[in-house]
Amino acid sequence: MTMQSKEPPAVLIDQASKWYGQVIGINDLSLAIDGGVTGVLGPNGAGKSTLFKLMMGRIKPSQGSIRLFGVDPWANTSPYRRVGYVSESEKLYEWMTALDFVSTLARLHGMTREEATERSSHVLDFVGLTDVIHKELGKFSKGMRQRVKIAHALVHDPDLIILDEPLHGCDPLARTSIMSVIRELGEQGKTILVSSHILEEIERITEQIVILHNGRLLAIGNLHAIRDLLDKHPHRILINCEDPRSLAGLFIEEDPIFGVRFPREGQLEIHTNNLSAAHSILPSIVVKSKQKISSIENPDDNLESLLNYLIKEGQ
Amino acid sequence: MMDKKGLDLSETVWTRLDRKAGAIVELTMRQLRHRISTWVVLGVGALLMALLLSFYVDSVRESFEPIDNDGDSEDNDGDGYTMGQERKYGTPDWDPNVFPGASIFIPESDIDWNDAERTFSANKSWEGRAFFEARWIDLEYSGEWWDTHIEWNPDASGIPDLTDCSEWDLDEIYETIWRDACDLGDQDGNGLTTYYVSGKWRGDGEVIVPEGMYLNWGYWTEEVYVEPEPPEMYINEDGIDCFNGLSLRGEGWEESRVDCPSDVRLGGSHGFDDDGDCLAMNDGLGDDDNGNGIRCDVQWVAPNGVVTDIRSDDLVDEDPDEQEYIGELGHRTFVIAVGKMAFVILLGLFIPLFLSLGLVRDETENGTLHLLLSKPIHRAEFIVYRLMGYLAIAGTYVVTLSLVVGLIASLLGPGDQIIRLSDMPVWLGIGLATTLVLAAYGSIFNAMGLISPKYGVYLCIVFGIWEFMMGSFSIVNPNWTVASVSISHWALQMIDAMVLLAWPDTIQWAEMDNAFGIDSGLSVFWQPPVHTLGTASAGVALLNSVLVLLIVSVAWVFIAKSVFSRREIM
Repeated sequence: MTMQSKEPPAVLIDQASKWYGQVIGINDLSLAIDGGVTGVLGPNGAGKSTLFKLMMGRIKPSQGSIRLFGVDPWANTSPYRRVGYVSESEKLYEWMTALDFVSTLARLHGMTREEATERSSHVLDFVGLTDVIHKELGKFSKGMRQRVKIAHALVHDPDLIILDEPLHGCDPLARTSIMSVIRELGEQGKTILVSSHILEEIERITEQIVILHNGRLLAIGNLHAIRDLLDKHPHRILINCEDPRSLAGLFIEEDPIFGVRFPREGQLEIHTNNLSAAHSILPSIVVKSKQKISSIENPDDNLESLLNYLIKEGQ
Repeated sequence: MMDKKGLDLSETVWTRLDRKAGAIVELTMRQLRHRISTWVVLGVGALLMALLLSFYVDSVRESFEPIDNDGDSEDNDGDGYTMGQERKYGTPDWDPNVFPGASIFIPESDIDWNDAERTFSANKSWEGRAFFEARWIDLEYSGEWWDTHIEWNPDASGIPDLTDCSEWDLDEIYETIWRDACDLGDQDGNGLTTYYVSGKWRGDGEVIVPEGMYLNWGYWTEEVYVEPEPPEMYINEDGIDCFNGLSLRGEGWEESRVDCPSDVRLGGSHGFDDDGDCLAMNDGLGDDDNGNGIRCDVQWVAPNGVVTDIRSDDLVDEDPDEQEYIGELGHRTFVIAVGKMAFVILLGLFIPLFLSLGLVRDETENGTLHLLLSKPIHRAEFIVYRLMGYLAIAGTYVVTLSLVVGLIASLLGPGDQIIRLSDMPVWLGIGLATTLVLAAYGSIFNAMGLISPKYGVYLCIVFGIWEFMMGSFSIVNPNWTVASVSISHWALQMIDAMVLLAWPDTIQWAEMDNAFGIDSGLSVFWQPPVHTLGTASAGVALLNSVLVLLIVSVAWVFIAKSVFSRREIM
């Protein structure tokens, strides 16, 4: 990546804002991304898609500037030679076969028909659609469609890949395969942006995240570092068991646990200041209690509580 | 040399551009092929052409049959003689009693109000008012109801039975008896009865015409039988005659006859009144309506070797052979009318309305635009390639359709050869004019779809109505300046110019159409091109029109581009 270090970064956003009338999509956002897989996290309406549309030159920033490889994408389409974009839109040309679809779009990169066909069958193979390249897109499942969209974004071997909610609506099997595709691309050294509103999905792909909230950049950095901060905050663990009261007795003696509650019949809620420590003692206590535990949940271990925490910290 | 992507540097920007264009053009064509509305509108177009061709078979071809253009093969008064024959004999074609060979009244003399001598004795046919001492009366003498023939009311022995007015004074007689007669008895005792008569009668005797009254007399000729001529004689009986040189009435004019629509452009005095109906006008003096001093001729005006006006005297060359003239004229009229109305105006407006309005707009609405715009392709390029894809389908369609219709029409058309090769450039011109119209409208409709995705279709319909009206006006009067603001006007000009290039004698045909009353409608649908920049050259008009249509198309691509480039795509 020595070559890239001399170049402008893949993505450089400088104090960009975008508002639609009274509604703010992106608010004074500055960001530079170059290399690796970056998860763009945020609840629905946080501005993830607006950010991507700004990067893809589909909309124009109201203020500030957007640069892809140093070029303004609104004024110039040249960066797209090096960008692959998977939009959130589900619409494809239903009457085309997968190979047709990918190779037609590949030709828009200036490939010959033969090159396009060869590259397309290669990327369709890469996303695991070898068996269905001659099948019409109208007959594809949701997961297959997402993979076709990824294939078309990869066909020209881009340096920057932007994926808007690529896992949205996919079944677990498709999720796993798409995640592994993304991880593999990251290992190839490409700059990848993946958006999601589900923390767990991003966690399985990358550690490097950007958190957006109400159009603002809320946090940027390593997911685990953010998470450790969060862990030191009071946290709840919800245990469904036969006898919550006897189990509570065992927990209250442990150091990281500072309180218990019984929200419902057969349910125990323990409160901790250190989530990872609590999780490490949990198995031994369960064994000691000799009770049948039906489930253990972390209601606070999601994006919402992460956001709540980060917002409180910011105040 | 390879660049960092491993692509050969011999690949220039142009080859890449070419491939992008190819991909979008192909995508557009495939998309259009997958839409039902495409097939519906193209199918309706083909159906329309089939309908027009069946109309051609039904009525244009029928006009190749002999037609009595001047109507002189009809016998309007039912006397058994055609108008043509009655004209020749100088009898009217509205009076069944007057026909060739019929007995006619020859007037001989009269006594009018100021004659001194007021008595006359003879056997005559009389008309007027008089005292009549009758030696013999023709009791059978009668006529039409409106005539004033006297009804004598004879009794069984043949003696007229009339009102007795022998006791009346003269004033009473004059006032009471009108279109009638009365009995004054034997006034002088010579055995002959005297009557007062007011009207028409025939008889032998002495008339006394009172002062201030009027009487005329004469006789009726013998009726002779004239063979009625067959009506066919008066169909195509007076063809268009031209003469090589000006020896119209000179020696050997028969030998100098040539075909009128010949390669040699003919000016001067031509025409011959084959059926003699012109020569019979003005009591046998003939007609000189065109005022060139030569009676019953046709003046061909050809200032630059091209016949631009034909002025004929009445009833000269007025019934030409249809096979020869109306066939050709009707065929050309059909070709031009179909080219202008069906191709340029109807197909030209409806195809883009269905195929081009949504070329870019529908991609936005379907949500598939992001697929294309995330590629290194400018929005302006995108518009141009989309329009090219649309034109590849629509243009191929109209050019093919025009050539197919042209081929069928040329098989059906008049002429000795099986296929009229000279038609083909005209049909090709029609196809190209329609293609350019499709480009211009396509560009405009696409822009309107982008300017207002929601109401663009209404803008297009309003615009289409304007174009339809201006097109119709342009057909009738291409000189009208306002119509030249419209697009259809220039495409119609293209056809006018192409017609003149492929069939240079069309001006002459149009003049012949007007001059000889062939009534093919050619000059309703065709007029010489007007935008020749003063050169009177059809080629200039053609280039001029092509240029205008191209400029309009490109200008609207720029308008669409400036709208689309600024548009944010959600």
